[in-house]
Amino acid sequence: MTSHEWQEQAAPYALGILAPEERRAFEVHLAGCDECRADVRAYTEVAAALAHAAPTAEPPGALRDRVLAEARRVRPIGAGAREPRRARLPWLAAAAALLLAAGGAMATWRLTTRVHDLERSLAVRDSVHAADSAALVLLTGPDVNVVSLAGTNRAPSARVIWNHALNRFVVFAFDLPAAPAGRTYQLWAIAKGRAPLSMGTFNTDGQGRARVVLTVDRQIAALGFVENCGLTEEPSGGSPQPTETPRLLGAWLPTD
Amino acid sequence: MATLPNVPVPDSQLVSRMAAGEDAALGELYDRYGKMVYALALAIVREPADAEEVVVDAFGQAWRQAASFDATRGSVGAWLATIARSRALDTVRARGRRVRAHERAALLSDEGLAAPITTAGSDPSRGVERTEARRLVSQALAALPGPQRTAIELAYFEGLSQSEIAERLAEPLGTVKTRIRTGMEKLRGLLGPLLEGAA
Repeated sequence: MTSHEWQEQAAPYALGILAPEERRAFEVHLAGCDECRADVRAYTEVAAALAHAAPTAEPPGALRDRVLAEARRVRPIGAGAREPRRARLPWLAAAAALLLAAGGAMATWRLTTRVHDLERSLAVRDSVHAADSAALVLLTGPDVNVVSLAGTNRAPSARVIWNHALNRFVVFAFDLPAAPAGRTYQLWAIAKGRAPLSMGTFNTDGQGRARVVLTVDRQIAALGFVENCGLTEEPSGGSPQPTETPRLLGAWLPTD
Repeated sequence: MATLPNVPVPDSQLVSRMAAGEDAALGELYDRYGKMVYALALAIVREPADAEEVVVDAFGQAWRQAASFDATRGSVGAWLATIARSRALDTVRARGRRVRAHERAALLSDEGLAAPITTAGSDPSRGVERTEARRLVSQALAALPGPQRTAIELAYFEGLSQSEIAERLAEPLGTVKTRIRTGMEKLRGLLGPLLEGAA
């Protein structure tokens, strides 16, 4: 297609009415074309403005409460992963102070110790909970792709989760011997008809395991979806392009 | 009675506060856009009960995904409208009963969907900007030749693909594509002032 023909796709793309194969082709083009991205942005606003052409209608008053009630049931993605709050039990501390004033020194000492123990265990529970929610947030959601990479024989294997909303890859590797000194493992997003794009590097531990979170590169994010994911061993720091055939290879499962 | 100077918080700031889990910010966003989202949902799904469902879903999605809102990619209003339209079209598709051509024909009269502009609703302070937007959009749509407007409205409110629109209107696909593209280009020019304000 000429650049002019691509530009003609911006308006129907923004309206969401391109056929699936046209849409995918255009999205690949968009990744490398600032001009078309600017057009898409402008036409998305035009399309959204059409919402104002809907006949006016008054929503029922109770709808606001329903919207808020629904929001109170779920936390926004990311909000659960904030710094854990410090657990404090001020009322117990106050009670301890009262006892101290009354002169029960031994009881007070025990009570204060107990308060501190409770505070500590609450803080631990909070941080465990925060870590769990952060992991769950990364691994779940409607906008997550998964790929399993397998070798020709039983081991090694790897699994990569692509969280589009948070723009992260979560990588798990099993039975993959650690790359030797001066070498690293590198993951590749392999889209049809394009050179592989690096997803990042990592190495496994002494048990051949790895659990890493990588930020999704802008070029890959712009593709939205790629067919395959491969793993190669490369010199430390990674290579611009793979220097060997992938040792592990898998096809991404689509979200829907 | 003296009134406090009303300095509105930018929409994008509300979305950041939502991302931090502040539900009051969601309430404020609803006050700004609830009516628009509901009217859009109703125009697509046609049943008040379904439209309410779409509104709850759409604001729920905006709430959950507030952290991923990217102001460089568009305005908050466009983001919400895009979410709501897509949920509404999902609802219609899930029901498997597309609005029939003859039903829609009644709505797509000579004046098109833009016709029934009523006066501002019962929402004097917040309604002003929205009403202005409605006026501009309706004027812009009215300035388009009928066939362009119809094709765009079928695309937007029914989510029909270009070939489905061609089939519906019994016109060649190329003609439909040109109408949509030309119409959208004109709207882009006509709505310039409104869209700059939104960005």
